[in-house]
Amino acid sequence: MSGQRLVLIADDDADILALVKAVLERSGHEVVAVGDGAEALASVHARKPDLAVLDISMPHVDGLEVLRRLRADVETSGLPVILLSAQAQEADVERGFATGASGYVKKPFSPRELAERVAELLP
Amino acid sequence: MPLARVYLLAGLAAIGLYFVLPWGSRGQSLLYDLIGVTSAVGVVVGTRKHRPSLSAAWYLFAAGLMAFAIGDIVFDLYSWVWHRDPPIPSMADVSYLAGYPFLAVGLVLLVRRVRREERRVGMIDAALLTVAFGICQWIFVMHPLVNGSGDWVANLVALSYPAMDVLLLAALVFLALTSARRTVAYRYLTASIVLTLVADEIYGISPERFPATSWLDVGWLLAYVLWAVSALTPSMRDLSAPRAARGPRLSHLRLLMLGGALATAPVILFVERLAHRKVDVVPLAVGSAALSGLVLLRLVGLIRSADRSRRAERAARAEVESAHRQLARQNAQLREADRLKDEFVALISHDLRTPLTSIIGYLELTLDDGNLTEKQRGYLDVADRNADRLLHLVNDLLFVARLEAGQLQLHPSELDLAAVARQSVAEAGPRAAANGIELICEADAAAPVQADRGRMFQVLDNLVSNAIKFTPSGGDVRVSVAPMNGVVRLEIADTGIGIAPEDQQRLFERFFRTSTVAQRQIPGTGLGLYIARAIVEAHGGSIAVRSEPGEGTSFCVELPAGARA
Repeated sequence: MSGQRLVLIADDDADILALVKAVLERSGHEVVAVGDGAEALASVHARKPDLAVLDISMPHVDGLEVLRRLRADVETSGLPVILLSAQAQEADVERGFATGASGYVKKPFSPRELAERVAELLP
Repeated sequence: MPLARVYLLAGLAAIGLYFVLPWGSRGQSLLYDLIGVTSAVGVVVGTRKHRPSLSAAWYLFAAGLMAFAIGDIVFDLYSWVWHRDPPIPSMADVSYLAGYPFLAVGLVLLVRRVRREERRVGMIDAALLTVAFGICQWIFVMHPLVNGSGDWVANLVALSYPAMDVLLLAALVFLALTSARRTVAYRYLTASIVLTLVADEIYGISPERFPATSWLDVGWLLAYVLWAVSALTPSMRDLSAPRAARGPRLSHLRLLMLGGALATAPVILFVERLAHRKVDVVPLAVGSAALSGLVLLRLVGLIRSADRSRRAERAARAEVESAHRQLARQNAQLREADRLKDEFVALISHDLRTPLTSIIGYLELTLDDGNLTEKQRGYLDVADRNADRLLHLVNDLLFVARLEAGQLQLHPSELDLAAVARQSVAEAGPRAAANGIELICEADAAAPVQADRGRMFQVLDNLVSNAIKFTPSGGDVRVSVAPMNGVVRLEIADTGIGIAPEDQQRLFERFFRTSTVAQRQIPGTGLGLYIARAIVEAHGGSIAVRSEPGEGTSFCVELPAGARA
């Protein structure tokens, strides 16, 4: 890893958002935390993060939809995205990867495991 | 030889003898009387022998026949003792005329067991035919008699005989039309009545042509004999036996007879016109009106009956529709229940996991902090362990809910069960060590199966966790995997507390917990083995338990070996 990386995280549950933020900051990343999908899309374009961690079930624009739009945009199609979800069925995981996720972490997650996955995917 | 046949042959022989004997002799008259009396006796004998359900009808027949026979005897007494013709009226007339009602009432009694509806229809049809016959009887037989001699008593007696014939015919037609059983006894009986009526009619049309003894006697004599034969035939029992309900049939013969009855008035008009006789208007008009009334009555019955069946049909259809609606309602309720269950599953899946995510995540984050005292760390470890247990429970419930909704999805691939077992044992190692249990793995040979990797881990985890949970410190848990004879056999054997035989039966039931486990308050949901069996069976395998209380327990899983064909 070279220098501080910017990670965008999006989750509608404030506690989990704070938890993910704490975990990633502990690993030395700079974190942008947002509460919904629309904000996440805006932040990607404004801040150009190195990686995004998206919760799937968010109101209005959910994580899968954010991912779909990111992949459809040439500028952001290469952004590593980890989906974070309480939907833990095999089918959910498969749908996540089919939509273009780089990783899939099931809730509840181990903070150490999440930190490792983020580190693996950062270029 | 049956008694009925003996009697029939004897009777025919007696009739033959009657015509051989000198005409008008005492012997001949005596034979006539004898045949009459024997027929009444024959009916009584037959009734006592066969014991029909309505013996009263048959005793009435016997009485009627006896009355006829007494009439014959009185008639003969006049000739032998007083050497003259009987006066009009005489005791002979009284006796003869008394016989008819007995016979008619007996015939009507036979029909008593028939269903009301059928009886009603039979009665109307019989009345139609009787009225038609009555019109003819009046115009061709009775009316000429009235116009004969002036003595009103003699007229009355003369009229009584054809009137009685009408009565007897009415009863006969009623019996015939009201679904009487067409047995042998029935045929003899009707033949006897028809013979009586025919002889009476032939005599009635021109009595002056027949002397006291004539060939016409063959009709009355045969009628006597056949009536007794009928009573002596075993099937006479069926005539009054109740029978299964059957709608009155409108047979061709019946239709023809009814049609003929309705044609009476025009035919008589036509015949009288041809014979250039004055038409007797009053009886014809009265009779025709009666016929019309009866037809109307019959029609009303038919319409009512059709209405009844239509109502019954409508009621049945309404019932079917109501059942249909209820079924649809229940279907909707079932769908709703199904939807609620799906919603509940989603709730477990998402809304229970979200708070658990925070709890487990923050606990781990805190435990990673180096500034905790040992005491604090101990407390947080307990919280962490219990949060894990809660997560397990949520996962199990979710799994069972999916399983029962038929949503268990397997993603089979070819995998080495031995490798899965080794990995599972490695993961459980720290837990076993913490409990002072030796965990032994005997899974060296490759054991290929076609299975869902995640689910196989789940089965192994459930079984190994159970073994560790129920084995006291110092014991051991042995996990072995071996391919053999087309199956891969996985065994998890412990030296734990064991399972009572009565509990072994129910071990794989949902939410079942053994009495030992419940007493010792060992935590668990009773879902682990249920889930393990469901997964194994979904893979086409089987799971069995062998256990000795206090000695240990062994779970044996067998899965089809190798790649799926």
